[in-house]
Amino acid sequence: MSINRRGFFRVLGVTGAALTIGRDLKAAPKGNDEIEFRGVLYDSARCKGCHGCEYDCADANGLPPPDPAKDLPPVRKTSETKRTVVNEYNTSKGKVFIKMQCMHCNEPACAAACLTQAMHKTKAGPVIWRGEKCMGCRYCMVSCPFDIPKFEYHSPNPKIQKCDMCYNRLKTGEMPACAANCPNEALFYGTRRQLLSEARKRIVENPKLYVDYLYGEHEAGGTCWMYLSPVPFKELGMKTNLHKGSYPALTKGFLYSVPSIFVLFPALLLGIQQATKKENQNEEDEV
Amino acid sequence: MSKELTISQDNDGKPLMKFLIGELKPKGKILTPFNIISVPIILLGIVLIIIRFWKGIGAITNLTQDVPWGLWIGFDVVTGVAFAGGAYVLTFMVYILNMKKYHSIVRVTVLNGFLAYVFYAGALLLDLGRPWNVINPIIGNNFGVNSVLFLVAWHFLLYMIAQLIEFSPAVAEWLGARRIHKILSGMTIGAVIFGITLSTLHQSGLGALYLMAKEKIHPLWYSEFIPIMFFVSSIFAGLSMVIFEGSISHKVFFKQISDKDHHAQNGIILGLSKICAGAMFAYFFLQLLVFIHERHWDLINTPMGYWYLLEMLGFVFLPMLLFFYSYRTNNIKLARIASVMTILGIILNRLNVTVIGFRWDAAVHYIPSWMEVVVTLTVIFTELWIFRWVINRMPVLRDSPSWAKKQE
Amino acid sequence: MDGFSYYNIFETKGMEYLIIIAFLALLIPFSIMLNRKVKIKHQLQKAFGILTTSVLKIPQGVFHSNSHTWAHLAKSGIAKVGVDDLLLHITGEVSVTFLKKSGEKIAKGEIMSVIAHEGKALEIYSPVSGNITGTNPALNEQPGLMNEDPYGSGWLYKIKPADWKAETSSYYLAEAATDWSQMELLRFKDFLATTMPKYATEASGVTFQDGGELRDNLLPDLPPEIWKDFQKAFLTPGEAVS
Repeated sequence: MSINRRGFFRVLGVTGAALTIGRDLKAAPKGNDEIEFRGVLYDSARCKGCHGCEYDCADANGLPPPDPAKDLPPVRKTSETKRTVVNEYNTSKGKVFIKMQCMHCNEPACAAACLTQAMHKTKAGPVIWRGEKCMGCRYCMVSCPFDIPKFEYHSPNPKIQKCDMCYNRLKTGEMPACAANCPNEALFYGTRRQLLSEARKRIVENPKLYVDYLYGEHEAGGTCWMYLSPVPFKELGMKTNLHKGSYPALTKGFLYSVPSIFVLFPALLLGIQQATKKENQNEEDEV
Repeated sequence: MSKELTISQDNDGKPLMKFLIGELKPKGKILTPFNIISVPIILLGIVLIIIRFWKGIGAITNLTQDVPWGLWIGFDVVTGVAFAGGAYVLTFMVYILNMKKYHSIVRVTVLNGFLAYVFYAGALLLDLGRPWNVINPIIGNNFGVNSVLFLVAWHFLLYMIAQLIEFSPAVAEWLGARRIHKILSGMTIGAVIFGITLSTLHQSGLGALYLMAKEKIHPLWYSEFIPIMFFVSSIFAGLSMVIFEGSISHKVFFKQISDKDHHAQNGIILGLSKICAGAMFAYFFLQLLVFIHERHWDLINTPMGYWYLLEMLGFVFLPMLLFFYSYRTNNIKLARIASVMTILGIILNRLNVTVIGFRWDAAVHYIPSWMEVVVTLTVIFTELWIFRWVINRMPVLRDSPSWAKKQE
Repeated sequence: MDGFSYYNIFETKGMEYLIIIAFLALLIPFSIMLNRKVKIKHQLQKAFGILTTSVLKIPQGVFHSNSHTWAHLAKSGIAKVGVDDLLLHITGEVSVTFLKKSGEKIAKGEIMSVIAHEGKALEIYSPVSGNITGTNPALNEQPGLMNEDPYGSGWLYKIKPADWKAETSSYYLAEAATDWSQMELLRFKDFLATTMPKYATEASGVTFQDGGELRDNLLPDLPPEIWKDFQKAFLTPGEAVS
């Protein structure tokens, strides 16, 4: 078939438009009220422990490449140079792998703890660290139920290191580095709504493969990074005793009593002081 | 090479610069035991602090990624502030309830409280990773109103200002500034009310800091009532410190104290003992209530459980009985012993919540390095040096000049 | 809240803190204004010379007798006696023309002093019996002292009382003294209403002001006959009815 010039340009235009719109749909926000959280679903049953996500993460964030063989057993942890690690466990169903990184909670304890709002929950979902505000108080580390933020103790200008879901990449429409190149499609990036439906679908379609539990659906009030696993999560070193409500809500009671006390105490104290003062004024001393 | 201790008189008409330069000279003996011990430690501490800024916090501390807050926060800030609680309790008693009996010790307690906050806020700056960014929450980059720490930080700042206003009449008397003294004295009651409100909130706020660390603190010490516990215990912590520190000050600075105040000292100690006994009684039952509410009795039969019992029975219940008994039998020595035990109990409680009970299950237990201890001692000794400097010059323990008394 | 989009549970905190700052700023003028109202009323009454209980000194720990004298027992066992503030506000500035000497005995209901203003005099009767251990030397040097500080430096006698408890048992103390003073002022108004027409003096015109408020220092403007009647109605014990 011959393609004439008009046709060619038309196809080019439509393709270009489709690609732009398609890209928007994938990552960029539409309007303020319609932004939904983005997250990642990690499927432990699909993960083959290639550690490729660790190399991609280090690459994308300017960190030194990891050396899984060198780390001390039994469990590798994230650190100030490793934003994510993949661990291997011998479980009741054989070797299972589990990837650890920031959970990007819906209501993060670290963001509520940060008094300069350096730890910030973006509207798109990722929890990011804004270094220009951070004063290194490490309160985020105290508050995080997953013990994720890591501090550069040996630097005179220390940073907090943690996974930020490659927020800079998300802004330009790309996926997080780990999810983009996973050879076994163990990492699924989408809106949290999509993750929930995909996870439930997988559980229903493969009831013998997965434990009927979506980790992160309710933990800490819900997280944007969720896990499916073939074995109970306890066997994979995941914390299973976590509070199933938002952690910042634990401080809400105290923080909401502050204004009341600020109003009541000065009024009360002033009143008591006036009352006891009057008694003294009418007294006459006599030795 | 010893000089007789000369007590300053207040500046009444001398030119200001000449007076200040004269005041900078050391008063009293140079080679006291305190000086001999404290100076080398302070110098070593300064060296360590330089290393900390050069090589990072990890160079001199044992903090880990699992235990980010250690001795400096757990002891210097949290425990130190609990002991500075004497200031707000005493100003409440003297200025709000008009209990004139305690008027003679208000100034020294407020001075202690002010210095405590200044130095422990200073110690906090050492613990910060990026201390130059500490102005961020103050100027609005950003105002993290969602954070308990934001509240605590702001309250510290405002409370230091309130205490400075409460103490400033003493400075005005020292400098002989009569008009300023009148203005400042008028502001005292406002500063006191503001200070008491702020104290209530930040004493409980220090406890509220740990509310989000729900699974990280041992269940026997974690509850949603930590803020109330911290607040109530700060009352008798502060008063015990007043008794303890007052006993030392009276011995060291006895030349300044008038006879009337000397005789009043015992009455004051016994009165404070009574209040401590009452507060500790209430606190003990609060702890009991929370213990039952949280249903952790199966944890009592563990090592941490025994530690908990030791803290509650040995260092809360027992000193409460001693305070009670000492008040009933007018026994000053026993009151002093009880105050020391209470102080140890508060240190124990605060460290249990912040350091010992925090990640008690971590693989590597946190133990402070000797360098952290030296820096802590540096902060405390420097504070004592400033305290001694002020007491020897300003009318804190000795009576105010007559013109100041007339103004009241 | 639904777990799919951003929800800030601390959204209103900034606004709350601003409201608190406004509250604290407003609390100071609020409380100043609340207290000022009471003070202004007192100052006005003093300025216009209006006589009400709010301008009177009524120490709560001093015994007030029916004949407008007071007695106060010190820890040493010696009582001080004097003339009460209400009487002195009615009489205006007076001088003491008669004073017993130290060492003498005095009985309750016996004349202990005479106060006078320009020849018009009133007899003061002792509230307690006992031995006079001292008189106030300052009264001679500073004549206005008694009016200025009737319960403090303006005392008349130091007496060692013979039977303090029995003799003071019917006297007024604390709030009862305030209430009694209020009643005495009303009785004084009634007294004036009945005696003034009796003597039909020109002074009746200047007595009342502002619909029935008593003027301060009233008696000096009234004739000696009214002084005599006042003595009988208010100061002489046994005849004074409250």
